[in-house]
Amino acid sequence: MADKRVTIQATRYDPDRDSAPRMQSYDIPFYDESMVVLDALNYIKNHVDGSLSFRWSCRMGICGSCGMMVNGTPKLTCNAFVRDYWPRAIHVGPLNNFPLIRDLVIDMDDFMHKLKSIKPWVIRKQELPLGAGEHRQTNQQIDEFRQFSECINCMLCYAACPVYGLNNEFLGPAAIALARRYNLDSRDQGLKERLPVIGDAEGVWECSFVGECSVVCPKGVDPAKAIQQTKLDTTMRFVLPYGNRD
Amino acid sequence: MATEIDMPSPHRGEGQGEGQGVKEYRWRMPANWWTRTRHYFLYVAREFTAVPMALWLIWLLYEIKLAGNGPAGYYPPRSAAFVAFSAVVLLFALYHSYTFLKLAGVIIRVKVLDRSIPPRVIVMAMFGAWAAGSVVVGFVLIWFAR
Repeated sequence: MADKRVTIQATRYDPDRDSAPRMQSYDIPFYDESMVVLDALNYIKNHVDGSLSFRWSCRMGICGSCGMMVNGTPKLTCNAFVRDYWPRAIHVGPLNNFPLIRDLVIDMDDFMHKLKSIKPWVIRKQELPLGAGEHRQTNQQIDEFRQFSECINCMLCYAACPVYGLNNEFLGPAAIALARRYNLDSRDQGLKERLPVIGDAEGVWECSFVGECSVVCPKGVDPAKAIQQTKLDTTMRFVLPYGNRD
Repeated sequence: MATEIDMPSPHRGEGQGEGQGVKEYRWRMPANWWTRTRHYFLYVAREFTAVPMALWLIWLLYEIKLAGNGPAGYYPPRSAAFVAFSAVVLLFALYHSYTFLKLAGVIIRVKVLDRSIPPRVIVMAMFGAWAAGSVVVGFVLIWFAR
């Protein structure tokens, strides 16, 4: 096992020196069958080239920080096993469709603005006093939105979405899935506040149902489902009598 | 004395902004993006099938306009090219309908007695309705053509 080696081809970009990203190859030991691509990047950072920049945090598919393109597919690098690619070289690049700051680090400002725009929190018309107790929910009420609440904001869905790649005004899969998560929450009363954003031409209607967002989602959120269901719901609100009521 | 500072938070879309003041490299989608994965290719194929269908329907409207002048001077198109084009459009229509109805289970949520109908049942119901509708339309066309 100690003799096995793997080639990592990482995208490098230094804004002060490079006019465009370039590729750099690293030949490193494949020291453990449980080694993931993030381990390989950390090995490079610690033993070979300390200048390689990338984001990571939890190492267990929770924080959503280490999303990158692995052999052209958006992946959490902490969840991409080297053994699944070996003996071929592994190309690691920054997430598609986002501006590149350095090496494997993308600018996520656009995503943050979009996330904020859909007001991802429980909105009440009137807050109840604390003494009134908690907002109780049945299991069925929780099941309505549970799937969409699993999103970890890793942005893999944005990297996989050609619609966002062609038009970055598109609100995007994760933001719409999160909006649906709150709109389906029995405690929430903020649908009308979110509708102008999600019902906009750059909201759900920009999506042409490629479906790749759901394919790459590491948490099974299925943003494509959230978007199509929102399209149907907003249409029904428009078409049905009393459909626009709260 | 503690001073409360309203710290800029990226979660509010505020702050210095990682990209601000920094030279960034901006990617552009290559024109051949749809050849990157099988999934992209099938998506573009699905969307493309609508183009010949639209052309065929425009042709159909034109033929209806001609037929509106009465049966005496109307000669329906019978060329081999038109038949071949129609056959291709039929295949495209079937593929488009199949992909559309297959996705119905993802989109439509129906509850009966507080229980959600499984997506597979919804898809089967959609294909059943499609088959029944095709039989009715076929029957009406054959009936009037006799």
